[in-house]
Amino acid sequence: MAAVPGDASDETLMVRYQRGDRGAFTLLVRRHHRALYNFVLRQLRHQSLAEEITQEVFLRVVQSANEYKHESRFSTWAYAIARNLCVDQLRKAQHRRHPSLDQPLGPGDDARALADVVADPKPVGNAEHSAAASQMRATLIQAIETLPDDQREVYLLREVANLSFKEIAEVTAVPENTAKSRMRYALERLRSTLCDFEEYARALR
Amino acid sequence: MDCERFDRIVLDYLYDELDELTAAAAKRHVEQCARCRGIVAGLRATREVGALPLVDPPEGLELRILDAERQVRERLPMKQRAGRAVSVLAGYAMRPQLAMAALLLLAIGSGLVFFRQRPNDRDTVSVTERGVAESDPEPLSVLPRGQKGEAAKAAAPAPGLAAAPLSPTARDAIAMRPSAPAATASAAPAEAREDSVYQAALGAYRAGRYREARQQFESVVAQGGADAARAAYYAALAAKGGEGCGSAATLFDQVSQHYPGTSSGYDATWEAAGCYETLGDTERARRSYQALLDEGSYSARARAALAQLDRADGPSEVAARKRAPAAFKEAKPAAGAGVGSVQQAPGSEPAAPKAAPPPQNAESAPKRQMKADPAF
Repeated sequence: MAAVPGDASDETLMVRYQRGDRGAFTLLVRRHHRALYNFVLRQLRHQSLAEEITQEVFLRVVQSANEYKHESRFSTWAYAIARNLCVDQLRKAQHRRHPSLDQPLGPGDDARALADVVADPKPVGNAEHSAAASQMRATLIQAIETLPDDQREVYLLREVANLSFKEIAEVTAVPENTAKSRMRYALERLRSTLCDFEEYARALR
Repeated sequence: MDCERFDRIVLDYLYDELDELTAAAAKRHVEQCARCRGIVAGLRATREVGALPLVDPPEGLELRILDAERQVRERLPMKQRAGRAVSVLAGYAMRPQLAMAALLLLAIGSGLVFFRQRPNDRDTVSVTERGVAESDPEPLSVLPRGQKGEAAKAAAPAPGLAAAPLSPTARDAIAMRPSAPAATASAAPAEAREDSVYQAALGAYRAGRYREARQQFESVVAQGGADAARAAYYAALAAKGGEGCGSAATLFDQVSQHYPGTSSGYDATWEAAGCYETLGDTERARRSYQALLDEGSYSARARAALAQLDRADGPSEVAARKRAPAAFKEAKPAAGAGVGSVQQAPGSEPAAPKAAPPPQNAESAPKRQMKADPAF
């Protein structure tokens, strides 16, 4: 089978994979695993669990590859799987009081670890500015992670998965207007957290 | 456009999801209205500053996924693999050249038949009459609703009918049990053994060992016998307990199709309806409830459930679901990550939270659990 062109759509890749072309699956994994991982990570707030669930999403794709129909977007399908797996995990965590899932991370922890992970990759001359930037990112991530579940999932599906509101409505099984109002609430909440930062004032101009 | 209307579309405006006309109208409104301009500016700035920085997944995740894919594919049931081969072949077969060639062959072939046929060719005629099996299950399904129940009940004592395996797992189960073929040799010990398998399966099910229970129930189903219908129903229940409604819903449906008119069949229809409801597939749920409307013990419950569905389904939600592409609905059962697992016995570990656990996890998972979480 001829090599898959790198710019083929997800849906074309999926059809090729259905016909036995494993290279197409490799491309799908390469394209989506990072965003899917981030989606799950922010939902569950647990790194190794996020890794496991991301892997599981792709395994489910493999197992039900035959049922996939070309008319549906691959990303809608994959995020529906990821979302359901997350909902399941969150529900289990509620039953078991899983310490790493139901306790919001302490602000001290967050700032320390997050500074390492999300620190601005560009070399910044001004150390003070860099510290302020990572402080803001830490605050942002904490604000996102502590959004109510239904608002957070809509926010992540929009901003990380890049799904349209119509697709988000499909994935979360709510009417489109409900998805939009959840997104609006999420943005309002984030605004109230971020409005004290200088970046926000600058973006507002 | 006024502020009220703008409020309703502000998010579509923010994310460029409006059609050109509405977008232009919204833009004009924003230019004139300070209030709405403020709202849009605030949301836009939040989006900009609030863009979530993506972190890199742990090293090797991509490779682990690809490795797991290879292993899962190797374990896929033959049926699915054959399906893929067929789809590849079909891809070739659908080419127009092949279709033309086939048409040509057909034309030549039928021409030959007509050439050969002459009026007095029919010297001898032989007729073979074959009896119709008395207990053929098929006619039952074409009977009108009302009679279906009694007819099926009459046929129920013929246990051999129930032998159709329900799933590949059932077949595997028989293949793995070398003692199974011997069951045909002597009926009485076999029956006793089946009964004990059935009892063991029930025990496993009650103890929450769903995967084991399901395998045992399926082996009872595969053997046929008086317990087959009930075992098939319990196998589906075990699937629900272990993997959730996503995989169980279709199993329940199969049970009600294989054993129409039996109490197990009705129980399965009822469970299928509940599962579809859990999965959000109200259309199928409705269909299953409707199938129970004429059944004495279920009719009242089914009617109540239907009424409940009608109340719960706001008009907008129905419309939203109708708009959903078919493929997504199809995929949903597979994606339904064990919604039913809530119903697990308290304290019991889920028997199979994942349909196919990533193979290398057995060794690497504990290690990864220990690893510090740098993201936090």
